[in-house]
Amino acid sequence: MLPNTIQWYFPTTVKEATKLIQKKGIILHGGGTKILEPQPRGSIKGLVDIGSLGLNYVKAVGKTIHIGSGATFADVAQFCRKKNILTMLGNSLGSAASTPLRNRITIGGSLKDFPMWSNLYAPLLALEATIEITGERAGVFSLEHYAASTLIKSKHLIKEVRVSEKKHLRCGVKAFHVVRFEYPIFNIAAALTMRENIVQNARIYITGVKKKFLRLESAEHAIRGKSITDETIDKAAGQISLTFAPDYKFSSGYKERMARVYFKDLLCEIQQGIV
Amino acid sequence: MKIPFSINSAVYELELQPHETLLTVLRNHGFTEVKSGCEEGECGACLVLLDEKPVNSCQVLAMSVRNKHVRTVKGIGTLYVPHVIQKAFAQRGADQCGFCSPGMVIATFSLLREHPNPTREQIAEALDGNLCRCTGYVKIIEAVEHAAAELRNTKL
Amino acid sequence: MPQQNCEIQNCNGKVMFKYVNKPIEKIDGLALVTGEEHYTNDFSFTNMLHVSVLHSPFPHASIDNIDDSDARAMKGVVEVLSYKNVNRILYTTAGQGFPEPSPYDTVLFSDVMRFVGDNVCAVAAESKETADRALAKVKVKYRQLKAVLDFEKAEGSPTIIHENDGAFPKIPVYYDASKNIAAKVEAEIGNFEEAYNKSPKKFENEFYVPYASHCAIEPHAAVSYLDYRGRLVIISSTQVPFHVRRIVSAVAEIPISKIRVIKPRIGGGFGGKQEVLLEPIVALMTWRTKRPAKLVYTRKEVFTSTRTRHQYKTTFRVGYESDGTINALHLDALENSGAYGSHALTVLANAGSKTLPLLNKIQNLKFTGKGVYTNLPVGGAYRGYGATEAYFGYGQIVDIVCEETRNDIVEYYKKWAIKAGETSPIFKALGEGKEGVAMTVTSTSLHECLDAGATLSDWYQKKKLYTADFNKGKRVKKGIGMAALMQGSAIPEIDMASAYMKMNDDGSFNLLVGATDLGTGSDTVLAQIASEVLDTPVEKIIVTSSDTDHTPFDTGAYASSTTYLSGQAVKKCAGSIKDQIVKVGANLLSLPVTDVEVDDGSVVPSQSSKQKNHGKVTFAEICQSSFYQKNQLQIQATASHVSPKSPPPFAAHFVEIEVDTFTGIIRVLHYVATVDCGTPINPTLAEGQAQGAIVNGIAYALFENYYFSPQGILLNDTFGKYGMLTAHDIPPITVKLVDSYEESGPFGAKSVSEININGALPAIANAFYNATGKRLFRAPFMPEYVLSVLQKG
Repeated sequence: MLPNTIQWYFPTTVKEATKLIQKKGIILHGGGTKILEPQPRGSIKGLVDIGSLGLNYVKAVGKTIHIGSGATFADVAQFCRKKNILTMLGNSLGSAASTPLRNRITIGGSLKDFPMWSNLYAPLLALEATIEITGERAGVFSLEHYAASTLIKSKHLIKEVRVSEKKHLRCGVKAFHVVRFEYPIFNIAAALTMRENIVQNARIYITGVKKKFLRLESAEHAIRGKSITDETIDKAAGQISLTFAPDYKFSSGYKERMARVYFKDLLCEIQQGIV
Repeated sequence: MKIPFSINSAVYELELQPHETLLTVLRNHGFTEVKSGCEEGECGACLVLLDEKPVNSCQVLAMSVRNKHVRTVKGIGTLYVPHVIQKAFAQRGADQCGFCSPGMVIATFSLLREHPNPTREQIAEALDGNLCRCTGYVKIIEAVEHAAAELRNTKL
Repeated sequence: MPQQNCEIQNCNGKVMFKYVNKPIEKIDGLALVTGEEHYTNDFSFTNMLHVSVLHSPFPHASIDNIDDSDARAMKGVVEVLSYKNVNRILYTTAGQGFPEPSPYDTVLFSDVMRFVGDNVCAVAAESKETADRALAKVKVKYRQLKAVLDFEKAEGSPTIIHENDGAFPKIPVYYDASKNIAAKVEAEIGNFEEAYNKSPKKFENEFYVPYASHCAIEPHAAVSYLDYRGRLVIISSTQVPFHVRRIVSAVAEIPISKIRVIKPRIGGGFGGKQEVLLEPIVALMTWRTKRPAKLVYTRKEVFTSTRTRHQYKTTFRVGYESDGTINALHLDALENSGAYGSHALTVLANAGSKTLPLLNKIQNLKFTGKGVYTNLPVGGAYRGYGATEAYFGYGQIVDIVCEETRNDIVEYYKKWAIKAGETSPIFKALGEGKEGVAMTVTSTSLHECLDAGATLSDWYQKKKLYTADFNKGKRVKKGIGMAALMQGSAIPEIDMASAYMKMNDDGSFNLLVGATDLGTGSDTVLAQIASEVLDTPVEKIIVTSSDTDHTPFDTGAYASSTTYLSGQAVKKCAGSIKDQIVKVGANLLSLPVTDVEVDDGSVVPSQSSKQKNHGKVTFAEICQSSFYQKNQLQIQATASHVSPKSPPPFAAHFVEIEVDTFTGIIRVLHYVATVDCGTPINPTLAEGQAQGAIVNGIAYALFENYYFSPQGILLNDTFGKYGMLTAHDIPPITVKLVDSYEESGPFGAKSVSEININGALPAIANAFYNATGKRLFRAPFMPEYVLSVLQKG
C-alpha cells in the first residue's frame, strides 16, 4: 500500500521528468500495476506521471519502429496487427496477462521491472531491440546490454525502444503455462534470418531462467548454415543448457525439459511458417 | 483533496487521497456497481472503461485519472434503460450470482465496438480478464453472440 | 388442505406446464447486469467502523499474551477484540441444523492458534487503512508448538491439536481429539472380508484429491448495525441466515430475539459461505461500540482463513468375478479436516452415502472413514460435499473392472446402477453423521442419460477409434472416458423449509421464503412454482428471501435442497392461497366452490360446470373485495416442509481428452453431461448450474491445489497463483437435461446444483487410461505428475 502522503508530479517534458526521478524515493508512474505491490515502508515518496510526456506512441520511421515507453501492450499489439509487421512481438504482447491489463501495462514499466514472466523481453531481444534512456547514464543501448548491466537499476527514464524491420526474418515466440490465466514459466523467442531455407543468422532468447534471460548461443550455432530439419532441431536442442529455479508447482528439471520441448516446437513452427 | 472526475458523462468532485485506487474512490462515492473481487487485477469484477478502454480500476491510481473519462456499467445501460448487451445477458441466463456481470458487460461493450461480428476466439480474448465461477462462461459467450447479432440487426 | 391438481397432461402423458419447466428470465437478472443490485459490501452506514482481523503467522502456537495498548492508542482505533475480552465459548462454525453434527471445537478468539490464518484478534477503526495499520501494533507473544502438516500422519501423532481445550461432539458420535480424530464413520453390509477373499479377481487402489478454494468472485463480507430500538441487524454474504442468527446469539451472547440477519445478493458461495465466520466478529463490534461495523475479507484471507474443500485419500478394495460382477467393495476414506472439524463428519458420511448406493446390487459393502485434525486451513462445505472426493476413485474402479472383464462401461452402468423401485441399504446405514433414512428411488432417467450421452459424445465410435494402435507413436494421444453419478436432494427428516404468502389488491402476491438465493436463481424458481400453482405470471410474484425477521425458517442453501425442499413448501403454501382465492371467487360469482376454477389470474366457472357464461372475477377484484368490501380478510397462508427422503439426481458424463506426452498437459476436447434432475423448474438455470459445476470440476481435476511451505503457509493465495479457467480455456460443453418425474418434489423436481462437479475427475482419468493405458491416482493432474505416470513401466 502506498503511503497517503505520496506526492504527485505531472511533468510535461522528458527533461523535467528525468530531473524529478533523480531524487530518492521518486519514481515513474506509467500503468501503475507494479507499484501497487507491497513496498518497503517509506520507499516511495513521490510518483511522476508520464501521461503528459507524449511517450505513448508506436510509429514506423523508415525501417525502424519506435515504441514510446508510455505505449501499452495493447497499443503495440494493435499496431503490429494493423500494420502486419513485427508479428511475433504483437502476438506475444497480445496474449500477455489479460485484456484490461494490456490496456495499462506500459512498455517502459515492463522493461524496467523485468518480471520473470515477462512476455516482452524475449521477442525484443530476439529482434535486436535498442533502448533510449535519459538520466544518470543517458544514451542508446542494445536492450541486451541494458538488461544485463547496472543500467537497468540506474535512475533513468526510458524514452523509447526501437526495432528495425529486417528482410528475410522468420520469427516466433512461445510462452509456457498450463492455463492461459497463469503467469508463464518462461518465454522463448527466435528470430532467424533465412536465405533459401538456410539459416544465415539466429537470435534465440529465453526468459524466466535463474539468470532472468539467456541467449541460446550453442543452439544458434548448431543451426547456423543449415536448413531446419528434425535432425538439426534435435541436435540444437541437445546443445541447450540452462537452469531454472524450482517452484512449488514445477521442478527445475521439468522446466528445463519443457524449455527444450518448446524450443523444438518453436523451430518446427517457424519452419512450417505457422507463426 | 477534491478532484473533478468525469464519470458516465457527468462531472463529479470526488474526495480522494493521493494513494487511493480508482476502485476505492469510485466505491466510496456510491459507484457500488464497480465490484471488488480480488484487488489484484486478476478477477475483472472492478472493470471500468477509462477513455473507453477496459481497465481494472483496482490497478489504477485515482490521481492519474484526471482529464480522463470513466465509464461504469451504468454508463452503458441502467435498470431503467438497459443496453442490448445487458438484456441479452439477462435473457440468456448469463448471470447467475451477477457479481462478474458488470465487468463482463463492460468487456463485451468494448469488444463489440471494435468487432461487431466477433469470432469465438475474439470473444474469449475480450473476456480473458473476467473470471466467473458460476456459469462456466458458456451462457456468457452465447449472450455476447446474441447481443452482437441484435446490435448488427438494429443498425440495418 | 385439498391439493388441486394443476398439472395438465397432453395425450402422450407427458406433463405440460405453463410456468414451470420454462426458461424464464431471472427476476433479479436485469438488476444484476446493470449493477443495481446490492451485495453486502455495497451497504455502508453513517458512523461505520471498519474491521480488520489479525491472523496467525504460525501453524500451531500458544498465545502467551496479547498487548493491544499501542493499537488502542492509535488515532481512529475504537475497539480491539481478543481472547482477553471475549468470553470463551465453544461452538462450531458449520452452518448446519441444530444440534450440529460437527464438533464444538472452535472459539471465536482463542489463545491457541491452530493454523496459519487462524484468528488472533480483530480491530475496529474509523477507516480500513487505520484498522490494517493497527494490526501491526498489536503485540502478540506466540509460543510455537510442533505442527501436524501431513494428514496421513495426524492420527495418533504425539502433537495433539485440540488438547484439553474442552472440544466435544454436539451429537453422540465418535470423537477422539486425543488421537486428532475429528470424525469417524463406519458401515457394513454383508461380510466384505469374506466375499473379498473369495473373489477370483481383486485389486486395491489409493486415490488422492487436493485442497481447493471455492473462488466465489465476491469475498466473504458482513456488516452489522443497531436499529432504532437497539436490535442487532447483520447483513451478510451467507448461505445460512438462520444458522447465522442462532450461532451469533450463542457466541456473542445476544438473545436470538435481538438479532436480525439479512442476506442481500451473494456473489457466489458453492458451500464456502455455509459457515459462520465473519458475523460474530462484526456483531460483537457493533454490540459493544453501538456503531455499525463492516468486515470484508481480502482474497488472500478468503483463501486461507475461510473454508476449503477437504483433502482426501480414498482406498478402494474391490473383489469381483470374471464376468464383472462386483462381490465386495470397501471404500476407506481419510479426510484432512484441517484445524477445526466443521463439516468433518457429514462430508465424510456423504463420501459413502452419495456414491455407494449407485451400484446398489453389490452384496458386500464396507465403508470406513476418518476425519483427522491437522494444523492447516479448515475444510468445510464445498459443492459435492464428499461425493466429489470419492467419485475420483469410485468412477475409476468401475472402469477398471470393465476393462479387466471386457465389459462396456455404459452397458455396465445400465445393468448394475440403481433403478426405479430399488433401494440400497446404504441409504439407511449412512446419514448425516447418524443413521440415515431408508428410501426407494422413485425417479430416474439414468438409462436415457447414458444413451443420450453416448450418442452426443460419439462414445462408441471414439472408444473404437482410440485404441492403443491409434495412439501408438503419437505425441498427442486421444481418449474418451465416462462416469455415472448420483447425489441427493436435501437432507431427509432433518432439513425444513417454509414459506409465507399474502395477496395484494392488484392480484399480485408477496412470497416470503427463508430460502437463500446465492446466485442459483432460487428466488425465480420458487416464484415459478407459485405461479404454476396459482396460474398467474411470474411478474405477479414478489419474492422476499432470507430475512430472519420477515421470512419464515429455512435451513439455507446447501445439500441441493432449495428447489426440492423449499419448492415443496412454496407449492403447499400457494395451494392454500389458491383455496382461499377460489372460495372468495366462488362467493363473488355466486357459484359453489366445486363449480369454479383458477384460470390465468382469474376465478372462472369451471369447464365442466353449466354456468360457462357466468362471467369471471379477477384476482385483483377478489383481493379488493377481501380487503375492503365483504367478508374482509387478508388472503394469506404459510406452509412448512420436511422431506422423508432425498431423491437422487443422476448424471452421466462423457469426456474426450488429448494428452501431450511431451509436456504432460491434458486438454479436454469435448465434455458431454446428460443430467436427470427430475423436472427442471427452469431449464436455463439448470443448464447453467451444470455448466458452472463442470468447469469447476475440470479445473479441480487439472490443476487446483493448495501448495504449503514447510511452515504451513499457503503459497498460492491469489487467483493468479492458484489458477482459474477463463472463457479462453473452456472446451465445448454439451449439457442435455433428460427429465424424469419425482413425485415427492414440486412438479416432479429433484435437484441439480452439486452433482455435475463430480464427473470431471473420474471421466478425465478414465479418458486418460483410454488414451495411454495408464491410470491417474493423484489429482490434480499436473503435467509433471502426468509425465511421471506415463514414464512408469
